[in-house]
Amino acid sequence: MSTAHVLLGLLAGGRLHGYELKRSHDQRLPLAKPVAFGQVYATLGRLQRDGLVTTAGQDQEGGPERTSFAITEAGRTRLDEWLAAVEPPAPHVTSTLFAKVAVAVLVDGAERARDYLVAQRAAHMARLRELTAVKTDPASTLGDVVAADFAILHLDADLRWVTNTLERVADLHREVHP
Amino acid sequence: MKLTTLLRLALAGSRTDGIRVVLTAFSALLATVAILAALTVLAIPEIGDSVNNRYVNPLLDEHGLRGGTALTLVLLCIPILALAGQCARLGAPARDRRLAGFRLAGATPGQATLVAVAETGVAALLGVAAGLGAYFAARPLLDRPDAAGLRPLPTDVLPEPWQIAVVAVALPLVAALTAAVMLRRVVVGPLGVVRRARRTRPPLPWPGALIVLGLISFAAVIPVLRWYDARAQQPPFALVTTMGVGGALAATAGVILGTGWISYAMGGLLNRLSHRPAALLAARRLTSDPWQGARTFAALLACVIVGAGAAEMRGYFRIMRDLDVLAARRGGYEPQRDSFYLNSMDLVDIAIVVAVVIAAAGLVVAVGEGIVSRRRAYAALVASGVPRAVLARSILLQALVPILPSVVLALLVGMRLVGPLTGDEVANYGESAPFVHAWDTLAAYGALAVGAVLATVGVGLLLLRGSTAVEELRTG
Amino acid sequence: MTILRARGVVKSYGPTPALRGVTIDVAEGEILAVTGPSGCGKSTLLHCLAGILRPDAGEVTYGEHRLDTWPERMRARLRRTEFGVLFQFGQLVAELTAAENVALPLLLAGTGRREARTAAVAWLDRLGVAELADTRPGEMSGGQQQRCAVARALVTEPRVLFADEPTGALDSRTSEQLLGELTRVVRRQRTTVVLVTHDVQVAAYADREVALRDGEVDPTGLGLTAITGKHTR
Repeated sequence: MSTAHVLLGLLAGGRLHGYELKRSHDQRLPLAKPVAFGQVYATLGRLQRDGLVTTAGQDQEGGPERTSFAITEAGRTRLDEWLAAVEPPAPHVTSTLFAKVAVAVLVDGAERARDYLVAQRAAHMARLRELTAVKTDPASTLGDVVAADFAILHLDADLRWVTNTLERVADLHREVHP
Repeated sequence: MKLTTLLRLALAGSRTDGIRVVLTAFSALLATVAILAALTVLAIPEIGDSVNNRYVNPLLDEHGLRGGTALTLVLLCIPILALAGQCARLGAPARDRRLAGFRLAGATPGQATLVAVAETGVAALLGVAAGLGAYFAARPLLDRPDAAGLRPLPTDVLPEPWQIAVVAVALPLVAALTAAVMLRRVVVGPLGVVRRARRTRPPLPWPGALIVLGLISFAAVIPVLRWYDARAQQPPFALVTTMGVGGALAATAGVILGTGWISYAMGGLLNRLSHRPAALLAARRLTSDPWQGARTFAALLACVIVGAGAAEMRGYFRIMRDLDVLAARRGGYEPQRDSFYLNSMDLVDIAIVVAVVIAAAGLVVAVGEGIVSRRRAYAALVASGVPRAVLARSILLQALVPILPSVVLALLVGMRLVGPLTGDEVANYGESAPFVHAWDTLAAYGALAVGAVLATVGVGLLLLRGSTAVEELRTG
Repeated sequence: MTILRARGVVKSYGPTPALRGVTIDVAEGEILAVTGPSGCGKSTLLHCLAGILRPDAGEVTYGEHRLDTWPERMRARLRRTEFGVLFQFGQLVAELTAAENVALPLLLAGTGRREARTAAVAWLDRLGVAELADTRPGEMSGGQQQRCAVARALVTEPRVLFADEPTGALDSRTSEQLLGELTRVVRRQRTTVVLVTHDVQVAAYADREVALRDGEVDPTGLGLTAITGKHTR
């Protein structure tokens, strides 16, 4: 999962304590499984090792939950890359899509989210066309067609959510910038 | 259901429904006036020997002739009823959908039918009220006795109050009952009336038998009268009227029902003879719904039958008058100047023309309704490149092809009905001459009927342009 | 090669504007999907491209001809011979059999009865409904009716087929069958297709997609006027 990127996104707004990170994660992504403390700290450890976050603040004795973390320049770069990248369309990417959009709105507001969604939609449509071609190909086996159906239905659902979200993002933008 | 609710539901509707209500009310108005006129004529008391000497026209004055006049007025109700029947079908699909909506909201089938019946009843009630108003308003206005004190119309007589009351109550009830009867086959379900293309059996030519029976029955009246006469007995009124009126009605019904078979047969013929698309469309429509022609043209054909009979009678009276002139010349005296019979035939002609106009109004409604209810199919055809001219030609063919043979049949039946009355030889005052058919008048009536059909189709075609607009294709 | 072109097409229904200046190109042989929410003007655009409607402003070009300047008579002839049209429902004449419905455009063009019937039955066969040749539309299912409608649209071997929500009234399985048959046949004949739909899964049968919103082309494909409030181009 992209827990690492989500944490980076949460930290992009300013430094946070470990405990606050866990709470913020669950709050922003209410539909994802609530992340376990252990996973948060393990991910933070990896990010720190990769130089994407640093610890800051005085409270170094109390353990990770009392330590405050901050994002580094490298971390920001990595976050940007992730937000700009399009997920290869497949049935299991739904939660990643959601995470990306939530973080994008958080970090950069509506404009960023929109650009990402536009690109993601184009990728989804292209994949949908490929899958439809598989369905109509007389050489496809029953297994091929069934798999294609499965993927198509999930991608269709993703696309509907993408379109919906764009409406909301546009509303949000109009709200914030009247 | 409370009465106010019923009324509110019955009168809820679009502009087409409004037109339907207005036309139904108008028909009720005409029927009321016709029946009241007939009742007024019957209410004229018999004063003196054979003549009242109160009215200008002997049709009203002479005791013996009044019955016939009243009957004619009542017969005028037939095309009026036909008009009302056509109007009831106006906008039927939209009304069916509305009734289905009521069912969906929880009404029982009986309640849904009741709403439809109530609409007709209320419309008829309005019409009757208007008719009564018109009658009573016209009476003092038309009361113009001339110098000799003779009146043109029986405006000094009033039918019995109970008779008027019966008309005021019975007419709306009859209208409502008729609507209920017409709806008995329509079971309004919550999902509406689904049209399935039923393959109906082709109609059989059994109406021909009906025509023959009717003609025989009518023709037998005279021998029966003579039979009784020979025994110096009064023939039972009931028997003679039943044979006469029954025979005429049977023959008329035969012609109207025969239109179904004619439509089907002509459709088949058209299909075989012509290969153009307009003809194909018309032929298929005729064979798939042959009874539509019968329904649409019924009143008009009845008028043609009566008209043919009147034409023959007029010819008869003309010959009588010519004989009269001959006899007068032979005997050396002045012939009668004014033929009473010929003048009264003029009135009959007027009545028939009025009936034809009313029947034509019913035709306009039917043709217009046919076009409007098919508009989506027509719009799709135009969108896929079928020229409107082809559609117009198909509609024209669909009307003309069955109507020409039907009109000819109606003319022949009308002539045959009156045949026994005129006989082959006309005798008057010792002179005799062979009876000649009044071909010119017959042709005139035939042309009038076909002309009415052409005119109504023309009017209906005006609707075609609007009905084929692309807006009809919008799905969303 | 562009076979159909629209430039700045504007069309209003009374006071309501349906198209506010649409510019698109349709390449020969491609299947183009026109998508968008209901009321965005997709059907109106289709009608303008097919010459069923005349735009209030702008140009519609087919090959070398300017359709927006042609009289109805000539446009009707074009629709009979070089275009095929397919709607969601209501396009078959209820009183004619399937074969007669399909043969109708040929009969209008002057083809003989027998020849027209042979061609009609052949097309019904290509779409898998040859056994329905002598049945009436009212006696068929929705999917079968639509297949007959496809046969009628293609019987004149048109260069362009215009389809407006052809599967709108069908369930997903029947839609899939119909679209499968349709794409197979048009690809073989190399017919250009303009397909209007609001369903993304139907649009996926096309090669390319143009999205409309509020009467204009939406380049993001997301049905969204720019967040900044300015129109993106």
